[in-house]
Amino acid sequence: MEKKYGVYICKGCGIGEGVNIDKLVNVATKSMGIPICKTHDVLCSPEGINLIKEDIKSEGVNALAIAACSPRVKFEEFDFPGTITERVNLREFVVWTHEPNDEETQSLAEDYLTMGIIKLKKGDLPEPNILENLNNTILVIGGGVTGMTAALEAAKAGFKVVLVEKESELGGFARKLYKKIPTGEVTNRPLIVDTEIDKLLKEVEGNPDIKVYKSTRIEKTEGQPGLYDVTISSNGNSETIKIGAIVLATGWKPYDATKLDYLGYGRFRNVVTNLEFEEIARKNNGKILRPSDAKEAKRVAFIQCAGQRDPNHLPYCSSMCCATSLKQARYVRQNQDSFAMIFYKDIRTPGRLEIYYKEAQNDPGVMLTKADVTGVSEGSNGTLYVEMENSLLGEKVKVEADLVVLATGMIPTTREPQLYLEGLTKASTQGDEAKAKYIEETPKPEFILNLSYRQGPEIPPLEGAQGFADSNFICFPYETRRTGIYAAGTVRRPMDMSEAQDDAAGAVFKAIQCLDHIAKGMAVHPRAWDITFPDPLLLRCTACKRCTEECPFGAIDEDEKGIPYYKINRCRRCGTCMGACPERIVSFKDYSVDIIGSMIKSVESPDEETFRFIGLVCENDAYPALDTLALQRKKIDPSIRFIPLRCLGGMNLVWVADALSKGIDGVLLLGCKFGENYQCHFVKGSELANYRFSKVGETLNKLQLEAERVQMLQVAITEYDKLPDMINSYIERVKELGPNPFKGF
Amino acid sequence: MAGEVIKPDLRFVKDLIESGGETLKKCYQCATCSVVCKVTPDSRPFPRKEMIYAQWGLKERIVSNPDVWLCHNCNDCTKYCPRGARPGDVLSTVRQKFIEENSIPSIMGRIVTQPRMTILALLIPVVLFLIILGSTGHLGIPEGDIVYSKMFPISYIEVTFFIAVGLAGLSYIASLSRFWNSMKRLNRTNYKKGFGTALTETLTEFLKHSRFEKCGPNADRKIAHMLVFYAFVGLFITTLWITYYYYVPKIHSPIPLSDPMKWLANISAIALLVGSLMIVSNRMKDKGFVSRTSSFDWTFIIIVLLLGITGFLTELIRLAGIASLAYPMYFIHLVFVFYTIVYFPYSKLAHMGYRTLAITYSKMTGRDIRL
Repeated sequence: MEKKYGVYICKGCGIGEGVNIDKLVNVATKSMGIPICKTHDVLCSPEGINLIKEDIKSEGVNALAIAACSPRVKFEEFDFPGTITERVNLREFVVWTHEPNDEETQSLAEDYLTMGIIKLKKGDLPEPNILENLNNTILVIGGGVTGMTAALEAAKAGFKVVLVEKESELGGFARKLYKKIPTGEVTNRPLIVDTEIDKLLKEVEGNPDIKVYKSTRIEKTEGQPGLYDVTISSNGNSETIKIGAIVLATGWKPYDATKLDYLGYGRFRNVVTNLEFEEIARKNNGKILRPSDAKEAKRVAFIQCAGQRDPNHLPYCSSMCCATSLKQARYVRQNQDSFAMIFYKDIRTPGRLEIYYKEAQNDPGVMLTKADVTGVSEGSNGTLYVEMENSLLGEKVKVEADLVVLATGMIPTTREPQLYLEGLTKASTQGDEAKAKYIEETPKPEFILNLSYRQGPEIPPLEGAQGFADSNFICFPYETRRTGIYAAGTVRRPMDMSEAQDDAAGAVFKAIQCLDHIAKGMAVHPRAWDITFPDPLLLRCTACKRCTEECPFGAIDEDEKGIPYYKINRCRRCGTCMGACPERIVSFKDYSVDIIGSMIKSVESPDEETFRFIGLVCENDAYPALDTLALQRKKIDPSIRFIPLRCLGGMNLVWVADALSKGIDGVLLLGCKFGENYQCHFVKGSELANYRFSKVGETLNKLQLEAERVQMLQVAITEYDKLPDMINSYIERVKELGPNPFKGF
Repeated sequence: MAGEVIKPDLRFVKDLIESGGETLKKCYQCATCSVVCKVTPDSRPFPRKEMIYAQWGLKERIVSNPDVWLCHNCNDCTKYCPRGARPGDVLSTVRQKFIEENSIPSIMGRIVTQPRMTILALLIPVVLFLIILGSTGHLGIPEGDIVYSKMFPISYIEVTFFIAVGLAGLSYIASLSRFWNSMKRLNRTNYKKGFGTALTETLTEFLKHSRFEKCGPNADRKIAHMLVFYAFVGLFITTLWITYYYYVPKIHSPIPLSDPMKWLANISAIALLVGSLMIVSNRMKDKGFVSRTSSFDWTFIIIVLLLGITGFLTELIRLAGIASLAYPMYFIHLVFVFYTIVYFPYSKLAHMGYRTLAITYSKMTGRDIRL
């Protein structure tokens, strides 16, 4: 595209009073050689917008720099389709955070304008990369309540659905239940209702748009969103089907109660799990007969958190067991002379379930107490004693019961494969022998997806996720770390049946969004507008595999020579590969090592005594935090220039080297928090940046510079109030070291 | 593992609910009640723990628990309970069950504590008196001046009442010693005070009614209870006095109104009437929270009120000289006297002993509060 440049400087919101606009115009026209540079009192006003539109129409301007406010605001006003539009943040980053009419403030504004124009000159108008023969069929894996609901929701939205269930019947755990908690309207009666799973089952099996495969497993999943080839196998027969997107609804497995022998499971016949209790109730149509002697159990004890919220078993809350025990207490109470005793750590009944809990509190035959259950022992005739400490009934007591029910929790089906694969990776690092031994000795769990991805066959584990297939539960529910595969229900996080049904609809919606975006060549999420894509110059690739290893979403496979092969519909455009590549061959049309590097190199110190810093900031958390502190008119040191990155994972070390060798006094990296409570929009970006950052010492050593000059800080979007101090004190520390000796070279 | 074995009892829970503790299931153990209570000890305070004992039907723990007698039913707990669990009402129901469960023989406990049995409880003296009077030929209205001993000779009354009260007293002593022993058995601390000292302190406190003053929202109950308390003391002295008159100087009733014994009798009777009327009006007053009292409590206060009213009427009708009314009124009065003094180990009056022992024990074990 032949570019025709135009620079438009706004004087509103204090910009005109804070900086010398004439000098800025000079920078654009004289230093940068831009033919058209206009100013306006209020650029976002209809007159201001018209001014720009007029130039686009009559002058053919197609590459614009809007030097006004933050790109995070007024994006609808400054939207000019068919052009490259670069926003220069003079308001938040310059006049709102610095002293007006100061030499350093003016220099800052001029640097930002220069960097914006450089980006404009270096960048190009992107064109979407739309793959051919995209398929729109949605594959739902798992035929429980979640999977069946997902299938129905997708069919209702007009999509063809393939539903795969490994068991011979649909229905999952719901089929094993005696009754369920009433859903829908908030009423207190009835307290237990039929699951009506057969109704759902018939609806699914009778739907012409849903093809149901029972007793079927996924043998192989290859390809990418819109172009999956999924091989399913049923009784030895394999079949490959074309799939567009996948809803993972494989649910949970009960926690292995044999690990809870201190609670008597496996030792005493009258200690059962909550799932087994359903079976007992179902078998005799609600009558509770205990396993040891088939006598009616009239005193039933429920032990909550049997394994959950316990670092030795499951560190998390399985969310549904409290309500389940309250429901099962109602089974017991169908006999007016029987009673249920519930021993809990805390009753957790979120939302409308609180009403259900309160209703149980009103029943004289539902007895509740907080307690630390320490064990279960058996007396004569199968009578059990639940031993506890710190209960509301006293410091140390044991309660007599006929039957003990352990409220055991959920393990996502994705957990076991993850553990196996983690072990395999670990063994592999110890050599081929150890690996072979591991494969031979470790029982291989059932895999679910069997992806033919370079990064492994299953959804990768995530710190703190405990095996659940989620990637960011706050900002992006349903999204796994494999684009095009959306988790719903208890495989995503612990939940109850009614939540799982809502979840199914949510995940289907995301799958449909995915199909819609790939059809437009757009990133699916979180950069849901972005049509740029990584375009590596493979001629120069050294097959180091860093990109294929680091991509947080497994978007890159590699051929037998180790050359990366992008499955572009899996890509989320975070640029982590760009940061990873030592050869710097990965570029986007408007985002590349060269563009950012040139921007950095354009920053100059006016003299040897003046300090200059570069801040590479994550545009998802740190950048909005900077905008917010500007909104509050907090002051920061004028010697730092911020350059937004799509994700700090795109940080290439060459930029640090470029900056320091050119005389920049220091580089500050602002990324999101990582680790267990990570906030990174791209899950692993800031963590990878930190990893790369740990290697920065070598670069600095080579240059004989102090390591303190480069620092990485983690900042959450909400920490805008701490940010000025973080930035200013970093700058103070570096200033104490003195100017970069390379200055002026 | 050591630890007490607990056997929850659903029937007992239901029993408590039906006897006036219908709100007990509302309790969610926040312990606001124990925090606002001004008469609860610092260690193992009530009524939080009593509420969960009630919810779990832990009868054993309730019927040997001295703490329920430390409560003076001011209902601060009920006022501040965030969930409307009314601990005050539950505790008062628990006290009723306490009396019932500790009664010897237990059948008496049921007859007297359960309001629906009140008619039966009153019928017993009626039938008893009718048999005595019938078999001795005293059934009917005697001629001449109204002298009650003409219908019911003093000796008959004394024999009947001495035997009945004696038996009741024995049963009461048995119940109290059982209570005392169970308190001692469950005790886990060293005694800080001797029994004598603690008992003296307790009785002194009773004379002053100082514990009642702690009950903020119900401070006016102090005067009412004090009137009834001293009325009973006065009437007790009167009874001794008249017995002395009868046997030593052989002064026989009716005693002239000018006699000091008569003064004491009449003053006590007025105190009883005024006191019990105050209690009734107190209970009916709106104190900013819906006040409720168990029917067990109502039964007793009504009996006391009727005792006072019939006593006065007996005297007034006699002075008016209407024999046909005076003798039946005297008969009715005697029935209420019987109820009050023979049934005391099973009625609300039983709290005298239990409360005395509980407070004494709390002082001995250092669980007392500062008054």
